[in-house]
Amino acid sequence: MADEKFDAIVVGGGPAGLTAAYVMAKAGMQVIVVERGEHCGAKNVFGGIFFTNVLKEIMPDFMNDAPIERNVTKRRFALLTPDGEMGGDFKFDKFNKDFSNNSFTVMRSKFDKWMSDKAEAAGAMIITGTVVDDFLMKDGKIAGVKARMEDGDLFGDIIVLADGVNSLLAKKLNFHKELDPASTIIGVKEVIALSEERIRDRFGLTGNEGAAYEYFGYAAKGAIGSGFIYTNKDTISVGVGATIKSLLEHKLNPNDVLEAFKNHPTVAPLVRDGEQKEYSAHLIPDGGYNKLSKLSGDNVMVVGDAAGFVNATLFHEGTNLAMETGKLAGETAIEAFKKKDFSALSLSLYDTKLKNSFPMKDLKQFRNTGKTLEHSPKMFEKYPILFGELVSELFTVDGEPKWNKEKRLLTKLLTSENPFSLLKTLIDMRRVII
Amino acid sequence: MKQFTTMEDKLGLNKFTAFEKTHLSIKPGADPMVVEHKLFICPAKVYELSDKGVPIVSFENCLECGTCRVAAPEEVEWAYPQGGYGVTFKFG
Repeated sequence: MADEKFDAIVVGGGPAGLTAAYVMAKAGMQVIVVERGEHCGAKNVFGGIFFTNVLKEIMPDFMNDAPIERNVTKRRFALLTPDGEMGGDFKFDKFNKDFSNNSFTVMRSKFDKWMSDKAEAAGAMIITGTVVDDFLMKDGKIAGVKARMEDGDLFGDIIVLADGVNSLLAKKLNFHKELDPASTIIGVKEVIALSEERIRDRFGLTGNEGAAYEYFGYAAKGAIGSGFIYTNKDTISVGVGATIKSLLEHKLNPNDVLEAFKNHPTVAPLVRDGEQKEYSAHLIPDGGYNKLSKLSGDNVMVVGDAAGFVNATLFHEGTNLAMETGKLAGETAIEAFKKKDFSALSLSLYDTKLKNSFPMKDLKQFRNTGKTLEHSPKMFEKYPILFGELVSELFTVDGEPKWNKEKRLLTKLLTSENPFSLLKTLIDMRRVII
Repeated sequence: MKQFTTMEDKLGLNKFTAFEKTHLSIKPGADPMVVEHKLFICPAKVYELSDKGVPIVSFENCLECGTCRVAAPEEVEWAYPQGGYGVTFKFG
């Protein structure tokens, strides 16, 4: 490949990289995507909802053939206690119309493959089964990438790093430090087959409607983490995520946390009798605004998880942030290509575009989320247990006069926890999750 | 329906294509006890200590998440496996 030179090389075939490739190829640039899996999507894992607001912008007809599992119309949030839950949900019929609130469950192995077919159809070249380990340098500047194969030198004017959460390449450029165990979540999940009828009955759904159940509180055996169930067409995705630091401190293995979650008395009836299909694990960069990578330099831009674009609040958005950063990097590359100027100054247009974009604004709004959660370990063990006791006792029917009971429980609350500390934690939580 | 709970059974659900060489190792000179102190966190339980206290790295079971790399950056040598090898997710 040594003789070929591309206008742009995209490392990594996920939503961020493929969006960048699609946008650049559509504009007539010679683009190559280098993906390490046997096909795009083969290495990619997420919880379950693909948010399609950016996809709709760049491919308005995506609903025609995208491999969508279900339209997410129902979302449920629950605080788990060791043996119960307190929760609430919402479901709106309007979320079932048109673009279904741009929230769809998908299986990434199929979905990312579909996106790569679209990028290919737009003119991008996709090579799979190929790892990129390093950059090619010329006159002190990045001139391409080194793929781990014979004759693997690839030359290009612009390198888009879309190599995911581990992003070893951006680290090589010193664009960001090693991931911080306190703000990096390890997520593990199982895909479990259930009949369509069972899924509809268990989750209260009609037709192609889907549900997203999120579990907070005591969801990760006391570690700082959460759990989820998402409904696919004829499977469900069940998983947990917790920070690496917290799992180390609690001496927990993520799979043991997942097993405990699946066996929780209120979760077990939703997942039982299914046939396990796959067990996967993936990191989530949860550092937010404060841990974002440097975004561009001479001949290079960083997009998606590789740069740290995940909104790990109650909204749990990632794929749409990835696509938006990919789109903006693609648009920047087109401008640079027209000017034949690939300098850091030229590519800093990407930073400028990002400043006004929803990913950056959202991350900025919630910039303290990771730190606040890290410093609120009581939300993951002590408080869920306490709230569970108070609520269950309040509703226990035992003939105790309500006045006595309420007074007794208030005393219990006030002796179990400093009310100011509790109030502060609750206010902090509100600020960082919604 | 039989439920798989052991790691061996769960990993058996996945498609793995092992490359001939490992992409993971404990760095030379690193304390092997890192396996017990930190690497218990690996979601695929790739790291074990032999009876003699020597680390065993079952790289062929790796889910390629990077948790070990972040949990023990001083002790773990980590690279992506050869392109096209390793785990292939059917669902993901």
